[in-house]
Amino acid sequence: MQLRHWRNGLTNGLMTVYALVTLYPLFWLFISSVKSNEEFYSRPFRFPTTWHWDSFSRAWKISDMGTGMFNSVIVTAVSLVLTLVVGALAAYVLSRFQFRLKWLVMGVFLLGMLIPIHSTLVPLFIVMNKIHLLNTYGALIFPYAAFELPIAIFILQAYMNTFPKEIEEAAFIDGMGYWGIFAKMMLPLSAPALSTVGILAVLRFWNDFSFALVFISKPALKTLPLSLSMFATGYMTDYQLTMAALAIAVIPTIVVYLIFQKSIMQGMVAGAVKG
Amino acid sequence: MTSTGRARGFIAIALLPALLLFLFFVIVPIFWSAYYGFFDWKGIGSAKFIGFGNYAEVIHDPVFWRSFKNNMLIVAASVFGQVPIALVLALLLLRNAWIHKFIRTSVFMPMVLSSVVVGIIWGYIYHPEIGILNFLLDRLGLASWKRQWLSDPSVSMYSLMVPIIWNYIGPYLILFLAALQNIPSEMDDAAKIDGAQGSRKLFSITLPLIWDTIKVAVVLCISGSLKAFDLIYIMTGGGPAHSTELLASYMYNNTFSIYRFGYGSAVSTTIILISLVLIAGSQYLMKRDNR
Repeated sequence: MQLRHWRNGLTNGLMTVYALVTLYPLFWLFISSVKSNEEFYSRPFRFPTTWHWDSFSRAWKISDMGTGMFNSVIVTAVSLVLTLVVGALAAYVLSRFQFRLKWLVMGVFLLGMLIPIHSTLVPLFIVMNKIHLLNTYGALIFPYAAFELPIAIFILQAYMNTFPKEIEEAAFIDGMGYWGIFAKMMLPLSAPALSTVGILAVLRFWNDFSFALVFISKPALKTLPLSLSMFATGYMTDYQLTMAALAIAVIPTIVVYLIFQKSIMQGMVAGAVKG
Repeated sequence: MTSTGRARGFIAIALLPALLLFLFFVIVPIFWSAYYGFFDWKGIGSAKFIGFGNYAEVIHDPVFWRSFKNNMLIVAASVFGQVPIALVLALLLLRNAWIHKFIRTSVFMPMVLSSVVVGIIWGYIYHPEIGILNFLLDRLGLASWKRQWLSDPSVSMYSLMVPIIWNYIGPYLILFLAALQNIPSEMDDAAKIDGAQGSRKLFSITLPLIWDTIKVAVVLCISGSLKAFDLIYIMTGGGPAHSTELLASYMYNNTFSIYRFGYGSAVSTTIILISLVLIAGSQYLMKRDNR
């Protein structure tokens, strides 16, 4: 018994070390953002001698992060609403109705999940160039929603499949139409699944880099990841400022992660496995 | 109107937005670019039809195959790095003690970070002069191990594997944990009665029971490796001398740096075909094994 106790303690100790090593790059990021540039490389593993808290406000101003935040919020919010509304409607139909071409519709969405997102950068660029969508919010909103739809539909449809048929029949007898049932029953009942889909979508949209890189070149429309990468290239040698900008960008996602941890973990795994 | 008529109308209207959005922004561009792959086209001006010229060039370009090889290296790093680490962690993290939850939370955390942030942080860690890796080696008296981690073509690809493993280990851990928790506790009791303990139990009971999940994880490694574009773009841009080029960065560089849209389209189509073959192949192998 004693031996077992020791062994458990040892594995827990080793695991904790592993976890701390995993977290270290992040910890180092936050420490370095309040450290002077000189100390950044002369004492990288130590706490700063003076804590430069002003680096956050300086980084915010110099990197023009306000613009990036604003664009990211708009693009993420509109794409989210689009994904949820359009996805839920499709999921409702696929979950509740039988029709001839259903297999084809499901097949098309399934096929879409197999296509590696990055390989579509060039094709999408060409199409969006043709319809003059490049350098607009739409250049991000439509592709974000489109690529998120398959996983949204599959999660929502699986959830709606668990509702008993009787509740709709009762509503139908009460004279509620399909739209009424969708808006007044399916949507509220699907709230847990909608929130899982929503959180995953928000993280994906908020963090996306490659679409913004290719479809947006106007400085006024840059999203946060894009403006961060430009800032970091320009200010590569001002470590303190770059690290502070990164820290500001990272904090919201970490907060969201800590709050919604469980659904994020499960949702990401479900999304990966189905894809 | 009959009720089936009403239902039909609703089905059509409710499916239309999703289908239009998806077809127009995911499916149509793919076919369109397969078509543009047959042209010599700079993105503006007229396009000249050159048949299979671009596709032939893709297949004969050593850089393309190098990118493919690098993609496969990432698959290998995931299969032999991520999967075993995640599996060991999962076996040790089964209990719901707070310390186990803390470790799970930490390991999964990089998944929610923007790859721009991850790329820049690791770029600094690997920096030859100011990076903490070389600093650490200096302090440990291993100065001869110091490298230009990202700009020395002989090590750059391996340097990139560490952040990739670090970044994407979380989902595999959760996947394995879920599989292990699904093993009924009667199995445990039966094993105890039969005297199977420790590594014996691991290899003859636990691992066979979650073998299907391990296979799923391997398939995920293949599809996941095609997504590593962002990190590599930020950290090396595919360089030096194409040593870290991936299929996606090869396509990006050919299209948007030197404006060969026709060629880029052909590369894009080739990548899609390759990935469909890889995914179909791995699914087939899994299904066949299951019989």
